[in-house]
Amino acid sequence: MSELHSEVHERRILGTELLWAVGVGILVAATLSTIVFTALTRDINPPSNVERIDPKTLHLSGEFTEHNLGTTVDTDGTVTARVIATQFTFVPRCIAVPQGRRIKMRFAAPDVIHGLLITGTNVNTMVVPGFVSQVHTEFTRTGDLLMPCHEYCGLGHSEMWATVQVLPETEFKPDSDGRVACAKR
Amino acid sequence: MSPDEPSAAASPLEVADDIDDESLADVMRVVPLGAGVLAGGAVALLVLGYLAIYLLVFLPRGTVG
Repeated sequence: MSELHSEVHERRILGTELLWAVGVGILVAATLSTIVFTALTRDINPPSNVERIDPKTLHLSGEFTEHNLGTTVDTDGTVTARVIATQFTFVPRCIAVPQGRRIKMRFAAPDVIHGLLITGTNVNTMVVPGFVSQVHTEFTRTGDLLMPCHEYCGLGHSEMWATVQVLPETEFKPDSDGRVACAKR
Repeated sequence: MSPDEPSAAASPLEVADDIDDESLADVMRVVPLGAGVLAGGAVALLVLGYLAIYLLVFLPRGTVG
């Protein structure tokens, strides 16, 4: 092959590679811009609450004692669900939440690292002993949603799941203590 | 294979092909375009899939932060 041909081919290939590099650079920049734009304008961020809690005394005192678990409605109307993730269950196993209201979900673990997601929603967080995981969300449709543990936590991991019962506003009635339990079905 | 034995690649008879410069030039004219179309198509499909999931599934599910 002549020198000239070889040089022309090489230049053409180099041109294609440069074009490709520019195209990919634009794509990467566009993707990152989309993420930053939605984070700034729509407040879409990963859950990033850093709050410490002593896993040894989780069940003895404070917010995650047994009588305080589940869903509560505060006097100002704020709905908070508190759940413990432990080998190999969630306590409580059913969480009642209202449809169409922004709620706060708080999770803690006394033993090993767990994780959870709620099907059909963006709720997806790790639950690490020593920290409180907090997620805000709004459930748009009524019905029962599955909430499995998604971080391998031991031999019973596959049996560890709970139900999130999304109730219409008319059926979401707190008792005199402001607590709401799942409806029996 | 002993270290003294010559590699087959050292012999022009083993590696030379009978393609002349003109045919090679013809092929090389379209090779970058073909590679670009193939890689571009694959990446375009990937980006379309990402955008579809992002816009139609992720954003409607709302914020969780």
